[in-house]
This record gives sequence, C-alpha cells and structure tokens, in this order.
Amino acid sequence: MASHRPAVLTDQPYTDPNPLPSSVPHVDELGVTSAPLKSASFFIGQHCKEVNEDFMLCKQENRDPAHCLSEGRKVTRCAADVIGKIKESCLEEFNSHWQCLEKNNQYFQACRKPEKALNQCKLSKTIPGSPEGQPQIHEKSSPIFTRVQK
Amino acid sequence: MSQFHGFKQDMPPPGGYEAIKYKRNLPVRGVGGAVVFSAVTAICAFGFWRVGAGNVEKRELKREQAWSRINLVPLLLAEQDRDAYRRQQAALAREKEIMKDYPGWEAGKSTYNSSRYTPSTIVVL
Repeated sequence: MASHRPAVLTDQPYTDPNPLPSSVPHVDELGVTSAPLKSASFFIGQHCKEVNEDFMLCKQENRDPAHCLSEGRKVTRCAADVIGKIKESCLEEFNSHWQCLEKNNQYFQACRKPEKALNQCKLSKTIPGSPEGQPQIHEKSSPIFTRVQK
Repeated sequence: MSQFHGFKQDMPPPGGYEAIKYKRNLPVRGVGGAVVFSAVTAICAFGFWRVGAGNVEKRELKREQAWSRINLVPLLLAEQDRDAYRRQQAALAREKEIMKDYPGWEAGKSTYNSSRYTPSTIVVL
C-alpha cells in the first residue's frame, strides 16, 4: 500500500519529510545530546521553572500535541537560552562535566569534581525534597558511592 | 688413672645432662576470646552502619536522578510534540488529497466518539 515511498530498503527509520505548517512559528530545536542535557538539567529546571510548569499544566489539560505548541516553544527557547548562557560563561566547566558524565555511564556520583566547578560557576543547585539540615547529595564531603573504578 | 686400670669410667657428657622436659608444651595462641569477640562485633557494627549510610545515600542519588529527568521532561515533550504535530498535519494533507473525490469524507476525523485526544493507531511507513 505504501506506494508513495521508493521501493528501497534502508536501515534508517522513516522520517516524514513534510515541513511544519507555516502557521506555526519556527523555533530552533536544541540539538543537544543526552550528556550535556543531563549536565544542564538542574540549571534548566531552576531557570525555566515557570515556563516548564506552565507547559506541563497545559499538557495536563489536553494531551493533543497541537494544544500546547506555543507553550512548548517557550520551553524550548528558555532551555536554549540557559544552555547558551552556560556556554557563554562556563564553557570549560560545562564541557568537562558533560564529558565526564559521558564517560561514566551518566552517573552524577562519578563526576562530583567537575560538577562542583560547574555549580560554583553557574548557580547553587538544589534538589527538591532532599532532607533538611544535612548537606545535599552533591555537596557531601566523603560520599560512599563514587566511581566504580578509581 | 684409666691408663693404669685398662678401662674408661663412663661419665656424663661434658656440661652435664640436659634438663628433663616434664612440662606440657602449650604456647600462647593469640589474643583471648573476649578480644576476638569484641573485635568481630566492632567490625560488624561498622559494616552495618556503612550499609545504612549507603542506603540513605542511594536514596538521595535516586532523588537527584529523578529530578534531573523531571527537569528535562518539558523540553523533550515540547520537541516531540512539534514533530508529532508536523506528522499529523502531513498525514491529514495526504488523507485530504487521497479522499478528495469522495464527498462526505471527513479527513482526520477520529474513530472514537470522544473529545479526548486519542493518538493515531496507524503508523505511516
């Protein structure tokens, strides 16, 4: 039935070549891979909290992808802005942290040293819900779980 | 004297005979039971304390991991939504083009009688 496709088998998954309709304003996709995203996740979560929450509330209203496009654009722009800012001011620390994550199965606990440098450069990372009155997991001075291989 | 009598008197070895070992030979074999017992107890206590501390730490690591993912959900979902919308619109245009000669056909109409969003079950290949 799929007569609109060339009769060629490829190992690539099919991607629809049709562009987004022109009624939807263009926004540059992040184009960031998993390790830099994970490295920047807490910055994104803290800087873009309101936009993100707005988007998620919108998604809760309706799961239709067409329903939250404008909120989604705001989310993407905010995240792109945060990543741009990190790259502007702390490129070295950011690079060393996400490369460390890349090499260590993306475990935060394996990369506390570069993370500390990055946090000092950018902002104070807070993990919601962590117990009061004791250092958070990324601030612990002698953690039990570190890298598997020293 | 012996050269005169032609025999030699049997005498103890020079320096005398060695002492007879009549005491039991039981050397001291390490530290006592109380010391061993308390040392084992102390090592076990340290181990259990460390397991406990490790469990607490694991929980916090999981929390960190979870929040790192939660922070990324909106932007990944937004990106995915744009792509889904693009494909949806393309599918709609295709359907309109194919079904243009059939009056009364509503392109893109849901198969469900519901206003709730239902993702398409048909995957274009």
